[in-house]
Amino acid sequence: MEQSVLLAGKAIGAGLAMIGAMGGGIGIGLSVQGAVQAMGRNPDFASTIQTNMILGVAFAEAVAIYALVVSLIILFVL
Amino acid sequence: MINWNGKRRWIALLLLIAGFVVMLTVPPIIPVIQLPGEKYPGGGDGFRMTNSLMGSVVVWILLILLAWYVNRSMPKSGDEVPRGGFYNFFELIFEGAYNFIHNIVGEKYIRYIFSFFMTILLIVLLSNWLELIPGVDSIGFLEPHTTVNVQTGQVTYEKGYETTNSGGVFALNPKCPWVSPDQAATLTDAQKTARVNNGCQTGTGAVVAASTTDGEPAAGSPSVPWVVLPFLRSPSTDLNTTASLALIAVIMTQVLGFKALGIRYLTKFFNFKTLLTSPLGGIDVAVGLLELIGEFAKILSFSFRLLGNIFAGSILLFVMSFLVPFLPWPFFILEFFVGIIQALVFGLLTAIFMSQATAGHGEHHDEGHEVEQITADNPVEIAPAH
Repeated sequence: MEQSVLLAGKAIGAGLAMIGAMGGGIGIGLSVQGAVQAMGRNPDFASTIQTNMILGVAFAEAVAIYALVVSLIILFVL
Repeated sequence: MINWNGKRRWIALLLLIAGFVVMLTVPPIIPVIQLPGEKYPGGGDGFRMTNSLMGSVVVWILLILLAWYVNRSMPKSGDEVPRGGFYNFFELIFEGAYNFIHNIVGEKYIRYIFSFFMTILLIVLLSNWLELIPGVDSIGFLEPHTTVNVQTGQVTYEKGYETTNSGGVFALNPKCPWVSPDQAATLTDAQKTARVNNGCQTGTGAVVAASTTDGEPAAGSPSVPWVVLPFLRSPSTDLNTTASLALIAVIMTQVLGFKALGIRYLTKFFNFKTLLTSPLGGIDVAVGLLELIGEFAKILSFSFRLLGNIFAGSILLFVMSFLVPFLPWPFFILEFFVGIIQALVFGLLTAIFMSQATAGHGEHHDEGHEVEQITADNPVEIAPAH
């Protein structure tokens, strides 16, 4: 019984922690949208835009990855 | 030399059929998922090899072999570069990466920054791809899955499986999860007959040798649950590897900053120049301190980004091989690309931070408008930094 409650608590906690991934998803979507529009307007600067886009995506993704690491720690370490 | 044209498709079909047969006969098992690298059995309290460190050793050996092979097949100066082959492929990749970084950091510090970029890229790429090799996470030592309470010395049995033995090679029996004698008493007769039909030894009503707490149980003995401790694990799934790579990247960024700007580099963090002359001088001080905190945040974000992506990827591969045993390969393709992207992001961020550190405050380096392309007429020698 005690084990089941513990497991349920871990699962709920890990699920709640992953809500944070939503922000990363929105951020990546917005930055790629902007980059693709910019590339469509001036294709000559596509490589520069792409570099900056990957940089921004990596930063936005980092926040989602923090949430993922927290939920992994809840599930497999605690 | 066999002519492989047109025969590879039959090999792929054979592999698909073999995967289907294996799925039906030996259903896959979800392994025990652990965040820190598992220690090899044996040994005392001192240094003990972990399987992720062994993965790092494999990556180093692969890199050394790669360097040796490329160096050996490099044509002598003046000779024609042979068409095709591995050396040409490697030169293509190196030139592409060199031009890419050249566009970002400019001419002056390209030698230092490119060597860091390419080293990190190759190490992280091979580490990430190590998890895709079949057997890396599934072949290993047979371990009893027990936890010992340090204070009371009480042994608890975790989830595990019974084993089958064929000629000294043990395998977990996926049809027979281990059942403790206490649990076995609660099973119904139908469940017991089902377990007997599957060839299980525990939980069948028959008396099994009592669990002993003293001494190691014999290999494959049904008195304890067994799990597999893999020989190798992708180094990127261990925080130690990613954190040390992140420390190298961030510390060498500071070293390059000092090399480029001297003691002036510190004014980026402690900016008191405008404090008395400008009404907004206090903001400059605060921004400088924020930059200082940002340097420490870089270490965290570097290490957790790589760890999170690759560890989650390997769990995804485990779970998908368990849920759809005959069709996990789309996820292997996904992880193949995630490996490339994460290696590129790690190296690219290092290169960009380094170029920001060497650019100085206020002065802007050229954005690479006058980049000379590497051509046959205008070769750029990639010399090691010294």
